[in-house]
Amino acid sequence: MENKTSPTTKVLKYSFSYLLAVLFIFPILWMLFASLKPSGYHVSKIIEWFLPPYSFVNYSDVIAQAPVLKWMLNSLIVSASVTLIVIIFDSLAAFALSVIDFKYKNLVFVLFTIGLMVPTEANVVALFDIVQKLGLINTYPGLILPRIAIPLGIIILKEFFDAIPRDLIDSARIDGCGLFRIYYSIFMPLSKAAIASIGIFTFIQAWNAFLWPFIAIMTKEMFTLPVGVPTFTDAYTPDYSIPMTVNMIASLPAIAAFLLFQKQIIQGIKFTGIKG
Amino acid sequence: MNLYNELSKKYPFLKALPFLLPFALVYVIFLIFPIFRGFWMSLHRWTMIRNMGFVGLDNYLYMIKDPAFWESLGNTLMFVILSTPTIVIGGLVLALLANQKIKGQLFLKIAFFLPYVLSVAVISSIMVYFFQPHSGLLNGILQSYFGVEETIFWLGEANLAWFVIVFATLWWTVGFNMVLYLAALQDIPESFYEAAEVDGATKLQQLLYITLPSLKPITWVITLLQIIFSFKIFSQVWLITGGGPGTETRPIVQYIYETSFKQNSMGYGAAMAFAFFIILVIVSMVQIYLRNRKEV
Repeated sequence: MENKTSPTTKVLKYSFSYLLAVLFIFPILWMLFASLKPSGYHVSKIIEWFLPPYSFVNYSDVIAQAPVLKWMLNSLIVSASVTLIVIIFDSLAAFALSVIDFKYKNLVFVLFTIGLMVPTEANVVALFDIVQKLGLINTYPGLILPRIAIPLGIIILKEFFDAIPRDLIDSARIDGCGLFRIYYSIFMPLSKAAIASIGIFTFIQAWNAFLWPFIAIMTKEMFTLPVGVPTFTDAYTPDYSIPMTVNMIASLPAIAAFLLFQKQIIQGIKFTGIKG
Repeated sequence: MNLYNELSKKYPFLKALPFLLPFALVYVIFLIFPIFRGFWMSLHRWTMIRNMGFVGLDNYLYMIKDPAFWESLGNTLMFVILSTPTIVIGGLVLALLANQKIKGQLFLKIAFFLPYVLSVAVISSIMVYFFQPHSGLLNGILQSYFGVEETIFWLGEANLAWFVIVFATLWWTVGFNMVLYLAALQDIPESFYEAAEVDGATKLQQLLYITLPSLKPITWVITLLQIIFSFKIFSQVWLITGGGPGTETRPIVQYIYETSFKQNSMGYGAAMAFAFFIILVIVSMVQIYLRNRKEV
C-alpha cells in the first residue's frame, strides 16, 4: 500500500522547481546588480555583473537629474489618488447595489458588469478626444479619471457585501442609523480584507500603467515612471548601468508593496480572475 | 421630514442615487461614452484638432482594402495563437510545482509571481538588454558557456522577434495564471487523493485522473482571460521590437495608435478601434457560448 515517490524523483523535482524559480528572478537580480555598477563599467565575463564592487553612485546620479524624482512624484500622486477614489466610489456603489432595494437594480448591475468587457486599448482614440475636449490632456485628473471608470472593484465588493448578515442592517435601523452610517460603520469595517486587496492591487496596476499615460502625457514634466523609463532604454549602447538604475527606481515601490502584502495581492487576483 | 426623505420613500431609486452617482458619472463619461463617441468619430474625417466632416462608411471601406490593417490583425492573431497555449500551460506547470508540499514553497510562489508586479516598461527594458546582440546577457551566456560563436540578432528576424515577444510576455504574466490555478488546486478535496492512495494509484495517475479533470472549469476561465489579454497586446511589442523588423510584429493596437496619433487620422483610427472592439466582443461571446454548451 505504501506509495512513496522514490528519493531520486524527489530530488529531481525539487531541484527543477528551485532552478526554475531562480531563472525567473535572474533577470530581476541582473537589473539590481547592473544598477550597482558604475556607469561605463566594462564586463568581460557574465559573472562579473554579479560580483563586487558595488556602488550606489548611479542612484544619486539619476535622482540628481530632476525629472526622475518628479516622475516618481507624478506616479505617486496618480496611483494614490486612483486607489483612494476607487475604494470610495466602488464601495459606495457596491453598497447601493447590495443593500438598497430599488427598481432596475439588476439592470444597473448588468450595465456596470458590461464595462468589464470594454478594453481601454479599443477606447483610447475616442478617450483622447473626450479628455482633450474636457481640457484634461496632460493633467493629473486626465490620468486618474479613466482608471477609476473600471467597474471591477464594484463587482468584487458587491459579492462581499451580499455576504454580510442582514440582521446587522435591521438592528442598526432600529437604532436609528441612516444608510450612510450603515455603510460607513458596519459595511466598510467588515470588508477590510477585501478592500485592502482591491486597494493594493489597484495601486500596483495604476503605478505600472503604460498605454493611457503614454498617450495622454505631452510633456516630460508630467511623465509617470513607466512613461519615463523607456526614454533611458537604448538598444545600441552597451552601458546598462543608468537605465537599469531607472528601472530599479521604478520597480522598488511595486516590489516592496508585493513583498509586504503578498497575501492580499494574491487574494486580489483570485477575485479578479474569477470574477473578471 | 424633508422633501428628499419623502420622495425617496416613494422612489427608492433616489435613496440609491447618492451612492451610485460618483462612480456612475465617471463610468459613463470615461468608459461607456467613448464607445459611442468612437463610432461617431469613425464616420468622419477627424484630426487631433477637429472634425473635418462626415464621410459615412468610407473609413471602414478603406480599412477593408488596407493591407496594413490585415497584416496587423494577422500579427495580433499570430500572437494570440503563440501565447495562449504557452502562458496557460505555463501557469498550470508553475502552479503544480508551487503546490508541492516542499520546503521553500513560498519562495517558489514569490519568484514565479514577482515579474508580474513590474511595469511593462521595466520588463521591456530588461528584455531589450537581455536580448541585445553585442553585449546582451543572453548572447553573452550562450557565447561564454554554450560554445555559440555567431552573434544572434534576436530582433533582426521575424521568427526570433516573435520568440522574444512571447518569451517576455510569458515571463511577465505567467504568474497571474499560476495564482488562479493555485486557487483551484487548493479547492480539490484532500480526500480524493487519500482515496486514490488507498486504491494504490501512482502520483502520475492521481495527476491524470484527479488533478487535471478538476482543473477543467478554471482552465476555461483562464483561457478566456488569456485570449482577450493577448488580443490587446501593444506595450511590450512597442517597447521591445517597435513592431519590427519592418512591420512584421506590429499588432493591431499599435497600428491604431500610429494611425490616430502619429499620422493624425483619428477618424480612421477610430474605425479600426471600433472594428477591434467588435472583434473582442464576438470572441468573448463565442467563448461564453462554447462554455455554456459544454456545461449543459
